[in-house]
Amino acid sequence: MVVSIAPPSLRQLDGSWALRLESLLAAGRAAGADLVEVFLERTDHLGVLAEQDGITSVSPAFGMGAGLRVFRGLRDGFVSTNDLSDAGLLEALDQALGMLGLQRSGAVRSAFEGLGSLRDHASAKADWLLRCPELAAATTRLLEGTAALERRGTHLQVRRGSYARDWQEVLVAASDGTFARDIRLHQSLGLNVLASDGEHRSSIGRRYGSHGRPEQLEQWDVDASAQEVCESAATMLYADYVEAGQMPAVLANRFGGVIFHEACGHLLETTQVERGTTPFADKVGEPIAHEAVTAIDEGLSDGAFGSLAMDDEGMEPERTVLIENGVLKRFLSDRAGQLRTGHARTGSGRRQSHNFAAASRMRNTYIAAGPHTPEQLITSVDKGLYCKSMGGGSVGPTGQFNFAVEEGYLIENGRLTMPVKGATLIGEAKEVMPRISMCANDLDLAAGFCGSVSGSVFVTVGQPHIKVDSITVGGR
Amino acid sequence: MTISNGSLDAEQLRGQLEQLAQHHGIDRWDLGASCSTDTSVQVDRGEAKQMKGAQRSAITVRVWNGDGLVGITSTSDLSPDGLEKALAGARAASAFGNPEDTPAFSPLATAPLPELHQPLRPSQPILSLLETLKDAERQLLERHPAIGTVPYNGLAQRRSERLYLNSDGACRQQRLTTASVYLYAKAEETGRKPRSAGAVRLAYGADDLDLAGCIAEAAERTISHLDYAPIETGHYTCVFSPEAFLDLIGAFSSLFNARAVLDGVSLSKRESLGEQLAVPFLSITDNGLHPGNIGASAFDGEGTPTRALPLLEGGMLANFLHSEATARAFGVVPTGHAGLGAKVSVSPDWFEVGPAPGSGGGQQGLDHHSHGEAKGLVLIDSLSALHAGVKASQGSFSLPFDGWLVHGGERRSIEAATVAGDIRQVLQAIVGFEGEAKITPDGLCPQVWVEGLSITGEA
Repeated sequence: MVVSIAPPSLRQLDGSWALRLESLLAAGRAAGADLVEVFLERTDHLGVLAEQDGITSVSPAFGMGAGLRVFRGLRDGFVSTNDLSDAGLLEALDQALGMLGLQRSGAVRSAFEGLGSLRDHASAKADWLLRCPELAAATTRLLEGTAALERRGTHLQVRRGSYARDWQEVLVAASDGTFARDIRLHQSLGLNVLASDGEHRSSIGRRYGSHGRPEQLEQWDVDASAQEVCESAATMLYADYVEAGQMPAVLANRFGGVIFHEACGHLLETTQVERGTTPFADKVGEPIAHEAVTAIDEGLSDGAFGSLAMDDEGMEPERTVLIENGVLKRFLSDRAGQLRTGHARTGSGRRQSHNFAAASRMRNTYIAAGPHTPEQLITSVDKGLYCKSMGGGSVGPTGQFNFAVEEGYLIENGRLTMPVKGATLIGEAKEVMPRISMCANDLDLAAGFCGSVSGSVFVTVGQPHIKVDSITVGGR
Repeated sequence: MTISNGSLDAEQLRGQLEQLAQHHGIDRWDLGASCSTDTSVQVDRGEAKQMKGAQRSAITVRVWNGDGLVGITSTSDLSPDGLEKALAGARAASAFGNPEDTPAFSPLATAPLPELHQPLRPSQPILSLLETLKDAERQLLERHPAIGTVPYNGLAQRRSERLYLNSDGACRQQRLTTASVYLYAKAEETGRKPRSAGAVRLAYGADDLDLAGCIAEAAERTISHLDYAPIETGHYTCVFSPEAFLDLIGAFSSLFNARAVLDGVSLSKRESLGEQLAVPFLSITDNGLHPGNIGASAFDGEGTPTRALPLLEGGMLANFLHSEATARAFGVVPTGHAGLGAKVSVSPDWFEVGPAPGSGGGQQGLDHHSHGEAKGLVLIDSLSALHAGVKASQGSFSLPFDGWLVHGGERRSIEAATVAGDIRQVLQAIVGFEGEAKITPDGLCPQVWVEGLSITGEA
């Protein structure tokens, strides 16, 4: 990389970039590209960690960068760079064009008709960063959190509180006229404990995340969070390991939604259709789940971690009904997904940063509420597992999924009995979706992070309590 | 700018930092910087799927304030404005530095570095990478009619550079080229479930990659899973592949991590050194300098030289991995395993696992082809979901795996199953080793036999 001039000072990404971007897009189109897209971002991150009764890490970070993507036919080339000078952006464009066998010529005429007027989703968000708590206030709140853990917990060997604030300003321009700007603000709070008593140990954590709520840290109910974490740690401290086998399971609401996210959600992204790694590719209009299941992905819920005013390709999000009464309705699609699979874009083109090309990704994804009470689900099980709190999970290239149970209980004769630990649920999407036979009426959402082809993105998972008639529970 | 022709200019960076530090009244600072140029390709059934390029740069500045407290800031903006903002941010953060655990410069930050034999290979044109990968995909598809696609594949090359500087004059710099290829095939037979497996290879340059080996291994592993059956839940003797055993050891590396010990999240304690953690014939060494470690670092985030460090000797805990701060707390020297931060992380480099010298290595002549286990022997090829199924602070794990059941001399793929246990029990239940140690991206290890592990299947 040759850098001869410094990039312009990046005070703001706004309409003043229009001429530079139009020049870049026109050059790409004149070279023979079908479509050229530029994604610019500025970021400002703060991470704070409190351990026991002290602040042990404060980690600020800031950055900027650009991702350029060029399409020709069904192929695309993507280049990212931290160099936002004219020379740096042109070099990135040349590299992307070269991937498709194209090169810039002296021609200035192209089919590019210029950018549309800026769709500015950021105009009312300019003060979000300023409204976030000062560093001193953030550290104080975290120490309140670890102090609350101390008050409410027993046998706590480690108490941790964490806070992360991710501010991002993005500008998206494409040769189809797309020109859009947004500011995002994601904040997450976490409390974690390790409880220990002789040979018994339990580690429990909870994360609370929001988007577009600068006051989240101030409004955080520290005591309620600490109480939830400490109760769970105390319960699990003396829990036995779960007995392995096939059994029915009831999964609690909120983060229990990770089962749909892993078992099915990823398989409804056009990225998977392109790869041929989803068993549902040709199933639109057909039943793929129990008729009790209606599943939705949207980017609209106010304040939810996966919400966004526009996706990373400049498209406003929509409410996408994925499955309705068990029947597959839609796939989540991005620009490349629409091009290669024919599924219309859903405002789901997302990426971790300018270093990744956007891909079809989930936003706020949940199973809709059903008619039952949670108690009805539990009483319907003679012997099974109640999964109150879930850990992470993943899905493999053939649709095999897995996820860990952080806090579990045996269900015996329709009621909860012993706490159990060490359970991992595994299965295949095609087999487990028809077994979700009951949904309760207590839909709730939880914040999470999802790692996939375009990096780690903020998401929400959710569901009401659900019952799976039979699933493999790995244990001892 | 501090980057020119793709290289970090250490002297220019030092000059800028010294000037800025003086302007802001900062006497003590250090920094880590990196830049890289990457190109990669993916293909799909003979066509380019995606081609990527990236130029990245990053810097982390750490400063000590007048009270001796430390603050840091990271940025990808290496312009003079960016550096100044980073320095100011680090100084502001230092007001919240931890007085109980303040990092200092590593006493080894100017010690001689080990000599690494890392050839710098020229980058290949991206269209050349594309043709290479298309050809590899074609060859893999031709290996078996059931292999229909190679849904996860990639060929990548990187040119990178790292730098460490501090205000006491330390200057570390390392340039590196690396390349990687991965091929994960999907195979399916009529009426049966699709199966998937793959292989990875690393090298210093794209021309050095063992493509033929990668294709052959991906094909062999994928085909071997086509004929599958469920396994009965129960306790089995398991044979871990080198990759699987190294994954397990890596997931529980907090056992050897001084930072985790001090934080109370390790199963080990300060006084655990000398304890018999494993069978007396097991040896584990962290050796980032092994020639098989492609992309080895000559120094860690604090400028401490990388070195080989025995972790388990004859099954006994011999050493912990250290940063400067943890080493000071334990009264030893840093081991070259630090990151760079206000609270410095510690992590392993590359494991060498095998029989302890002179121990005989446990049961001799182990051969899974001719074992006498009536119930069958479980071969664990690869573990999944370690991020979710490992409770490192508790020692427990419950993990999905791909593998085979060997019974009566015949090997058959296991449909879907999990393996669960406790790492302390695993280390004490090792029976012995099979075969020669194999170099993998994470370390060097033979196949490892472990008895009595809990397997959950769907039979």
